[in-house]
Amino acid sequence: MIPTLLGITLVVFIVMAASPGGLSLQNLVDTQGLEPEAKKAIEDYYTKLYGLDQPAPVQYLRWLNKISPIGFVFDENGEIDNFSFTKGPDLGRSFIYGRPVTELLKERVPITLLLNIITIPIIYLIAITIGVRAATRRGEIFDVGSGFIMLALWSVPTMLAGVLLMGYFSNDQYWHFFPTSGLSYREAHDMPFMPHWSNPFEPVKLLFGILTGASLLIWLSAKAPKKIRASVLALLGLILGGWVASSMAGEPGWFLISIISLIIGAIFYALGDMEYASFRTLTMGMIGMFVGALVAGLTLEGDFVRGFLLDRIWHLVLPIICLTYGGFAFLTKLARTSVLENLLSDYARTARAKGVTEDNVLWHHVFRNSLLPLITVSASLLPGLLGGSVIVESIFSIDGMGKLGVEAVKLKDREMVLSLTLISGLLTLVGYLIADIFYAIADPRISYD
Amino acid sequence: MTEAAIKTSSGYAKMVIREAFSQISARIGLLWVGVIAFFAVFAPFIANTHPYLLKTEEGITSPLLIHLAPVDTIVLSVFICIVVLFFLKKHLMFNVLAVTSVLVIASILSFLLIQPPQLVVYEKYREMEKNGKIEWVINAPIPYSAKDYLRDYGETGMEEPLASNKRIHWLGTEQSGADVLSRMIHACRIALGIGFVATGIAMLIGIILGGLMGYYSGVVDMLGMRLVEIFEAIPTLFLLLTFVAFFGSSLYLMMVIIGITTWPGYARYVRAEFLKLRQMDFVQSAIACGLPLRSVLFRHMLPNGIAPVLVAASFGVASAILYEATLSFLGLGLVDNPSWGQMLNQAVQSASFYWWMAFFPGGAIFFTVFAYNLMGEALRDAIDPYLKKKT
Repeated sequence: MIPTLLGITLVVFIVMAASPGGLSLQNLVDTQGLEPEAKKAIEDYYTKLYGLDQPAPVQYLRWLNKISPIGFVFDENGEIDNFSFTKGPDLGRSFIYGRPVTELLKERVPITLLLNIITIPIIYLIAITIGVRAATRRGEIFDVGSGFIMLALWSVPTMLAGVLLMGYFSNDQYWHFFPTSGLSYREAHDMPFMPHWSNPFEPVKLLFGILTGASLLIWLSAKAPKKIRASVLALLGLILGGWVASSMAGEPGWFLISIISLIIGAIFYALGDMEYASFRTLTMGMIGMFVGALVAGLTLEGDFVRGFLLDRIWHLVLPIICLTYGGFAFLTKLARTSVLENLLSDYARTARAKGVTEDNVLWHHVFRNSLLPLITVSASLLPGLLGGSVIVESIFSIDGMGKLGVEAVKLKDREMVLSLTLISGLLTLVGYLIADIFYAIADPRISYD
Repeated sequence: MTEAAIKTSSGYAKMVIREAFSQISARIGLLWVGVIAFFAVFAPFIANTHPYLLKTEEGITSPLLIHLAPVDTIVLSVFICIVVLFFLKKHLMFNVLAVTSVLVIASILSFLLIQPPQLVVYEKYREMEKNGKIEWVINAPIPYSAKDYLRDYGETGMEEPLASNKRIHWLGTEQSGADVLSRMIHACRIALGIGFVATGIAMLIGIILGGLMGYYSGVVDMLGMRLVEIFEAIPTLFLLLTFVAFFGSSLYLMMVIIGITTWPGYARYVRAEFLKLRQMDFVQSAIACGLPLRSVLFRHMLPNGIAPVLVAASFGVASAILYEATLSFLGLGLVDNPSWGQMLNQAVQSASFYWWMAFFPGGAIFFTVFAYNLMGEALRDAIDPYLKKKT
């Protein structure tokens, strides 16, 4: 941990020092066109900041001392004054914003973290549900099909997915279902946190709608014969598809409407036809909730305040989709391999020989062991997610650290770029640490001395 | 004797490749990359405003050949060399040497001898045709260059495919008025070039460092692994952003930058393989024979440990293409030169969505990355003894 952290700072410093011109004043600041006094002030600022009149190793140590939260405090003449535990990290000032970088990071990093923290559980949930199924049905159509689709999904560039989602679902030309940019509307900041209705019976109605829809479809999934299940779901898909298509901006022709409703109907039919009971029930329950909420929502009357929470969720849907699909596509393959390896292992065969049912072998014996590689990978998932949020944040103009980084690179705000790289490395290290802790929880054999 | 030895020693890698490419998915991937490579090599002959042959009052000229850039001739000569070598079927070392020497000679000759006109006026052929100065002309299949902004047509900009009745743009035009299909064909070269060169650099660094780490183990290994960890801990995209911020971004620089930020994966694989190999008898005997380190590492150990690197390289090319596309998409990559990512960036602007700018360049990135991933998958299955045993 600590050596890696020091190494990261060293890499960052070397990149800075090795850039054309290195650590010289002319390259650090573009002082052209400034008044002589301003130029002098900036030059002095940098000379003091980096100790530019000193050799590189000393500069590195000074810089390290400056960015670390505890360290030596220098007086005005550049002499060591005393050692302080509370001096706080000083990452310099941002040129674009004219504010200390630490202050900006405090605003921006939580937003990126919010995106990533929501993303990770979704990734794992989907990856494990599909991966386990693919492993148990090895070589069958579900396995081959999901493997191919996951590889294809993994190859979809995040920016393509983002652009397509944004173009079709948050645009006046097609469907304006989702907001175009940002994480919340300005007026949402004045709203109460939870959604509010003027009429107290409205939420009850909504809840009733959701519950009825969900329980109906779950009952259908669990109890009804396959043919009825599939055809009811296909019908639902056709209606839903027709509704979605006709709510498109402009005047969609009958041809387009029927195509879209047919596609959605076919997808729903395939879902109803699926043998994988738990996945089917889960998805159908979610569809039921959605449809129930939709139908109940159409009958609602009275004033409705969206509330901060709902507004935030509404804004987060598309970015989260963009961030998740690559991750679960990658993890599904890993989950499949890992479950498969354990299913074929000797201890699983022993369990089967004892007469343990296949379900128990899977969930009680194999599953926990198969989690270990997934947890190991969670550490390396974080750098990918942080990188992905750079793209997602710039597409959906979310003010996180990724967008900040791109702006900083474009405008050559070097201190900002360096701090962001440093912070992203630091976050990844924290991710490694958390992964190690989870690893120890999942596998009692592992101990860190 | 030596030739036979080399043949047997590269046997495992060859076997893996043969097995991987017996799968249909890997073949489809290879086919797609072949198509992209074809477009990349022959881009100026497929999409060019300059006609192949032009007959005017002054006689027959070939503006296309006159305007051929040094890069075009280098790419062409290397391509011809590779085709010839493919039919000659010499061993690997010879091939690599031949390609490198042809590359060097072609670059020197091209940059010395070929000086295309500095000022290019794309509009002049269309004007000549309008004025009836041309007797006959043979045009390229797509008569628009990548940087032909069609200024003579007045207000050009975003145009849907086949929207104009005056001229044919199969995939529409982009913001600057240039033909999308033409730009996409010219961008193939950048995508493939970045993919191969960046991966090559990363592999070179990874193999050397990883090889030394695996061979010496002990302290060297520990220090090397810390370096690998450091590079892996910083998200690659942020590292790339840092490099771009400090060094700027030109095409060649981008190749180097992507190369030096993605090497740790290869180093890890090579190290793991070499750690396994160093205890084996043939390596021990090679050391006992007093062979130089270079020979032990690269002649005896590497051919046996290269298979996982091939898998990683296949995925690596895919991710290098993605990184370039991402940087260009974010507006930090190439400015005037065509690039798929930069075209994709134009798809959503203020409130409008231009579907053709999303589907075509985005689809090109997707299919290319998918093709490499398919090949990587097939290679990975081929080196996995576990899967083979159980089927």
